[in-house]
Amino acid sequence: MNAVIRTENLTKFYGDQMAITDVNLEVREGEVFGYLGPNGAGKTTTIRVLFDFIRPTSGSATVFGLDAREHSREIRRQVDYLPGDMVIYDRMTGREVLTYLSNLREGVDWRYVEELAERFECDLSQRVRSLSRGNRQKIGLIQAFMHRSRLIIMDEPSSGLDPLKQQEFYNLVGEVKADGRTVFISSHNLPEVERVCDRIGIIRRGELVNVEDVGELKNRALHKLEIHFSGPVPPEAFSNLPGLRDVTVEDGRVRCTVMGKPDALIKAAARYEVVKLVSEEPSLEEIFLSYYSRDDSDAP
Amino acid sequence: MLRNVFTKSLWDQRRSLMWWSIGIAALAILTTLFYPAISEAGDLGKALEDSEALANLFSGGFTDLNSPEGFLNSQLYSLTVPIVFLIFAISAGSGAIAGEEERGTLDLLMSSPVTRSEVLVHKFAAMTVAISVLGAVLWAGVALGAAIVDMDLSLWRSGQVVVSGLLLGIVFGACALALGSATGRRGTSIAFASAVAVGTYFLNALAPLVDALDPLTKLSPFHYYISADPLVNGLDPLHVLVLVTLSLALLGIALFTLERRDLAV
Repeated sequence: MNAVIRTENLTKFYGDQMAITDVNLEVREGEVFGYLGPNGAGKTTTIRVLFDFIRPTSGSATVFGLDAREHSREIRRQVDYLPGDMVIYDRMTGREVLTYLSNLREGVDWRYVEELAERFECDLSQRVRSLSRGNRQKIGLIQAFMHRSRLIIMDEPSSGLDPLKQQEFYNLVGEVKADGRTVFISSHNLPEVERVCDRIGIIRRGELVNVEDVGELKNRALHKLEIHFSGPVPPEAFSNLPGLRDVTVEDGRVRCTVMGKPDALIKAAARYEVVKLVSEEPSLEEIFLSYYSRDDSDAP
Repeated sequence: MLRNVFTKSLWDQRRSLMWWSIGIAALAILTTLFYPAISEAGDLGKALEDSEALANLFSGGFTDLNSPEGFLNSQLYSLTVPIVFLIFAISAGSGAIAGEEERGTLDLLMSSPVTRSEVLVHKFAAMTVAISVLGAVLWAGVALGAAIVDMDLSLWRSGQVVVSGLLLGIVFGACALALGSATGRRGTSIAFASAVAVGTYFLNALAPLVDALDPLTKLSPFHYYISADPLVNGLDPLHVLVLVTLSLALLGIALFTLERRDLAV
């Protein structure tokens, strides 16, 4: 599969302030890639390098195999962008903004623009200044989708949208994917990437800590187990078992977090009469936190 | 009008350009209407003749208020017109890149397939056209006022002093553009460009008072604007060349610095 975006040891310092370091990212053609991390982790910095708004301190980035610095214009011809902080010319109407942006490229199908506006219930005749944050975001989304580019890069796309419009946004992402086009979404919102992304990369304090399939990530991650016994059980029987965390024993009930195989736990439990076994599907939130808790000081 | 960055920049200025035009037309006409009263009063220029410093500062050294050229030079072209053109040009030049950058709209613009240099050149061209509109209004206002009071004035020469003023305005607009392109800060750009303008104005006005300093006036753009008296003698090609070269050099600095730096979020 072709890499649409590839970064090699991408590093950016602002002065001596590190923003990202040694980010090796690969986004494949046709996938929806989620770039996940809390605010300030380096998501926007990575994106801004791809658009040549900022220049890497070291390392490189390519889009469609073209160097982000050398061939920026050629790249931007084929990539659409939704800025994280959607600021648009506020003295213009939505329609004027879209007209201007579409004139800077070739060929926008205005029927499609109208369709998008209808789907997001966005009034294009209003001045941007008088629009709410959510409505500005809609104009941002329309301009990001209207050119039907090969790659759409979106920074926190669903911020400010109400749930119905969010759904509409997820539908649109699905349509783009069905077209074989690629979407790159940065987000700190886990349910969102869980919902729309094929793969996610987790970035933390400027470092890309992991990239994997959304499905695999959930499989590999922690499970919460709760075992109910017919009577009280000795806490010692469950302490110090391998692969267990956060074990609590009370009134014939054991609660714990299992990392990897639950084998030791099951064998220990088998000595007593088990009444009920409750397994909780981990949310991505918990998976996510587990990546952060490896480093303790200021984990979110 | 939203075809490209150039036309869009003009479109953005349509309202402000209208108000500026009204103001400049009023200024030109009203000033000219005072000519008969001043010239009949006789030796008003005498006070200025007594103090070279005052004359240099406030009337560009023009002390003959009884001729149409002397009157217009001292009352309009020596100080008022540069102030008006410079305020407009510095504000346009600093807003072009730094203004968009500070408002946060530059990201969206630069995500389009346009290069930074293109954006700069388009914005510089839009500023040049906008200030030229003001120049045309000024010329027409003076012409109208002159016709009303029956002033004996060459419209051809009158146009030349306006062009000289435009070139001066563009120099400082390009200066503000370069500062804004290099720093991304609108306030910094306005402050420094204005400081340079005030400094070089005083240099041009006061250096001639001391013989040893006199050659320093050649460092001031204002020298190349007015010292050859374009209203009487027409444009001095060498002076025009200096102003144009200076503008292009500043545009070059803007292009060079903008290409080489990170854009602010």
